[in-house]
Amino acid sequence: MIAPEADVLVSLKKLSKVYRMGVQDVVAIGGIDLDIRQGEYVAIMGHSGSGKSTLLNILGCLDRPTGGRYMLGGEDVSVMNDDALSEIRNRRIGFIFQSFNLIHGLSIEENIEVPLFYQGVRRSVRRQRSTELARLVGLGGRLGHRPRELSGGQQQRVAIARALANEPLVLLADEPTGNLDSNTTNEILRLFEELHSAGRTIIMVTHEIDVAEHAHRTVRMADGAIADDTPTARARA
Amino acid sequence: MKAIYKVTDIVRLGVFSLLVHKVRSMLTALGIIFGVWSVIAMLAISQGASYESQISLRRLGSDNIIIGSVKPPEDAMAAESGALHYGLTHQDVARMRDNIPGVLRAVVIHSTPKLAYAGGANQHQVTVLATEPGFAGVARARMKEGRFINSLDMLRRASVCVVTDSLADKVFGHGSPMGKTVRLSGMAFVVIGVLDRLPGKLTGGPADAGDYVLIPHTTEQMRFGDMTVVQSQGSEVFERVEVSTAILQMVDEQAVVNGAAIARGMLERSRRQVDYQITVPLEEIEQRKRQMEIWSYVLMAIALVSLVVGGIGIMNIMLAGVTERTREIGIRRALGAKRRDIVVQFLVEAMTLTTAGGLAGILVGLVVPWAVENTLKFKTIVTTQTLVLPFVVAVAVGLISGLYPAMRAARLDPIHALRHE
Ligand SMILES: Nc1ncnc2c1ncn2[C@@H]1O[C@H](COP(=O)(O)OP(=O)(O)O)[C@@H](O)[C@H]1O
Ligand SMILES: [Mg+2]
Repeated sequence: MIAPEADVLVSLKKLSKVYRMGVQDVVAIGGIDLDIRQGEYVAIMGHSGSGKSTLLNILGCLDRPTGGRYMLGGEDVSVMNDDALSEIRNRRIGFIFQSFNLIHGLSIEENIEVPLFYQGVRRSVRRQRSTELARLVGLGGRLGHRPRELSGGQQQRVAIARALANEPLVLLADEPTGNLDSNTTNEILRLFEELHSAGRTIIMVTHEIDVAEHAHRTVRMADGAIADDTPTARARA
Repeated sequence: MKAIYKVTDIVRLGVFSLLVHKVRSMLTALGIIFGVWSVIAMLAISQGASYESQISLRRLGSDNIIIGSVKPPEDAMAAESGALHYGLTHQDVARMRDNIPGVLRAVVIHSTPKLAYAGGANQHQVTVLATEPGFAGVARARMKEGRFINSLDMLRRASVCVVTDSLADKVFGHGSPMGKTVRLSGMAFVVIGVLDRLPGKLTGGPADAGDYVLIPHTTEQMRFGDMTVVQSQGSEVFERVEVSTAILQMVDEQAVVNGAAIARGMLERSRRQVDYQITVPLEEIEQRKRQMEIWSYVLMAIALVSLVVGGIGIMNIMLAGVTERTREIGIRRALGAKRRDIVVQFLVEAMTLTTAGGLAGILVGLVVPWAVENTLKFKTIVTTQTLVLPFVVAVAVGLISGLYPAMRAARLDPIHALRHE
């Protein structure tokens, strides 16, 4: 028997994150429930300090919840040890940061290959894959360059290629356009749109409404709780 | 299979990272090179010095007890028929030879300064040593040419002499001096042999003076008597010394130690004044050995301290390097690196760096003592131990100091490492 939630990719149950600051506790996330299905394009919105980044870091297994349960692709990751979480980050998740987070000592192709490197994929195969990915994000001619030689928009494309290298279950992006001008922002959003059309699941944190409008569902957070969860105009269209 | 790709890749990454951070890598390697070579050179020079000093003492013979006559202060001296009379007598030497157990042989030397003439324009100031055949054995003298004085020479009171190599060069120039004639106070002596230099202490002459003429003791007594003329402040003073130096060669080292004590006691009782001096090379060798041991401990301590200081330097650079790269570690962790992947990467870096630096240090550490030996003519000794020990310490320090910050960085949550600026 197949449950109706068979295509649920991300499932949070009473998930919470509390920072202990001396005597007083800071509740960054206060017990939220959230399901995200395969192929969805979700924007997480909210004011600064509302817990968006905390939530996304937990989804990306960069941080651990202090309470509740997080199921990713049917696996309970909230009980995993550090090695198992590394494995999950390495094989299931593609993370895109606001500040790109490329390794400056490495070339573009080497940056794209890092997740494959830790999977133990052989060099020749990695090289082939990074070449394909660079072409996909529109950076075919730049493989040998260093990150500092590229513009912000180009660097973010490298980061997206890197996030796609391991064929992740889900792409997570924390303010991916926060450091970019409006032209490049639109280019990146167009790339997201293409990836979404190709079937990728995308969860994107942003505080800009114009950016959020590109997604098909908006989850609005306030004070560590979900205030609102609606399809966007684009989804209804 | 995959694990193997991963390991070789991480090793390659470690080496590659060193090239990316060239300056830091160079600094760290330099620290290790300096630490290693300075310790090697220090040990090589100190061991060389210790060896040298022991060799020079050993040339005096560790089985000898050397008793020299010493002129006592003027006022304490008894004048006897117009001549100053002091020092050992043949009777003293015979008593010691017969009463001290373990004496292999006793050799006496009577030494007098004289002018030597061998034709040509110049006379030469020399020390004449009147002695007996046994001298060559106790002095460990090596013949360069010819032979030493033998018992037949003694019996015949032959007018023959043995000269030292340096004197032969001065007096006879090039060519062999064998068979040529040297005049001492007008009397002719035929050269029958040439000796290497003799240690001054053994001959009762000035330290390391190289110009000696050795003649049979019996010949000297017949020709010159045992009176010595000393020129002092314009007036001539006659001195009478029967035996300038007596050398007792003992059967073994225990006999040396016991014999020296007995000889001291005997002379204290028989001599009215302290006109003698007892030298025991064995005691000096032992004492020098102890001094050298203390020295080598001091040098060892300095070497260790400099290695530790160097190690702290290395640790500092490694720590700074890892701290600076905390964000890179965070990125790698976010992309799936396990804690041990990070530790291995930094360990490979530290290992490559310290091993390369250590090997270069050994190379420099070999070249420096070699250069010191060739330019300063200073004996150095490099042993496997002095090469390996600093290398092992430096590499160990490098590894520990690379491992510690790497483990600390790997322990960070990825999110904390990523937030690091
Ligand atoms: N490491 C931390 N220690 C303590 N409090 C934190 C930490 N990280 C975040 N917080 C707090 O958690 C709340 C949510 O932060 P964050 O998830 O970064 O918000 P957003 O990304 O929506 O701006 C804030 O009140 C913030 O101060
Ligand atoms: Mg944020």
